[in-house]
Amino acid sequence: MYYNNKRLALSFFWVIAGAVLLALSIAEKLDSSLYAGMGGALIAVGVLQIMRNLKYRKDPAYREKVDVEAGDERNRFLRMKSWSWAGYVTILVECVGVIVAMVMGERTVMTLLSYSVCLILCVYWISYLVLNKKY
Amino acid sequence: MKNRIEEIRSEKGIRQEEFARQMGVSRQTISSLENGRYNPSILLAYKIAKYFGMTIEEVFIFEED
Repeated sequence: MYYNNKRLALSFFWVIAGAVLLALSIAEKLDSSLYAGMGGALIAVGVLQIMRNLKYRKDPAYREKVDVEAGDERNRFLRMKSWSWAGYVTILVECVGVIVAMVMGERTVMTLLSYSVCLILCVYWISYLVLNKKY
Repeated sequence: MKNRIEEIRSEKGIRQEEFARQMGVSRQTISSLENGRYNPSILLAYKIAKYFGMTIEEVFIFEED
């Protein structure tokens, strides 16, 4: 069961959080239009998820389709593989970025990119250690 | 790993959509399995073999490299 009560509660949370951000923006308690945009986006995402959740509960064909898509092992494999590639590509691009920034004398960019590479590597090693204990 | 899924499925006259529905996977997964592009988990392999009333070895052909 993909769309459960937990997901429904989370969708309502997004709507409420979005409404709060939007209201604070309109009342000029927050001094950036960024928050209004963020609020609108959260409301849109929340409403969309609620609509999907309701359709999932009412439409058996849609429910079967969603459950197969979510539980299909090849889909899960592809998702994992895509995340893995995304991680590799990000690290490679950032490493190239560090070298380019170093050559161009952009010390701040170089430092930020280096920190980012270090963070990703730390997350990788921690994940590896946790998963190594789990499996 | 090679398999005889397409051959056995065709013999039994089962459509890919129906087979996918019975296995609880997408039609693309069945297509990828039949083309040998994707190797199933042991759980799915067992489910497929059981559905055909065969053993895993009869459906999947293990080849040592």
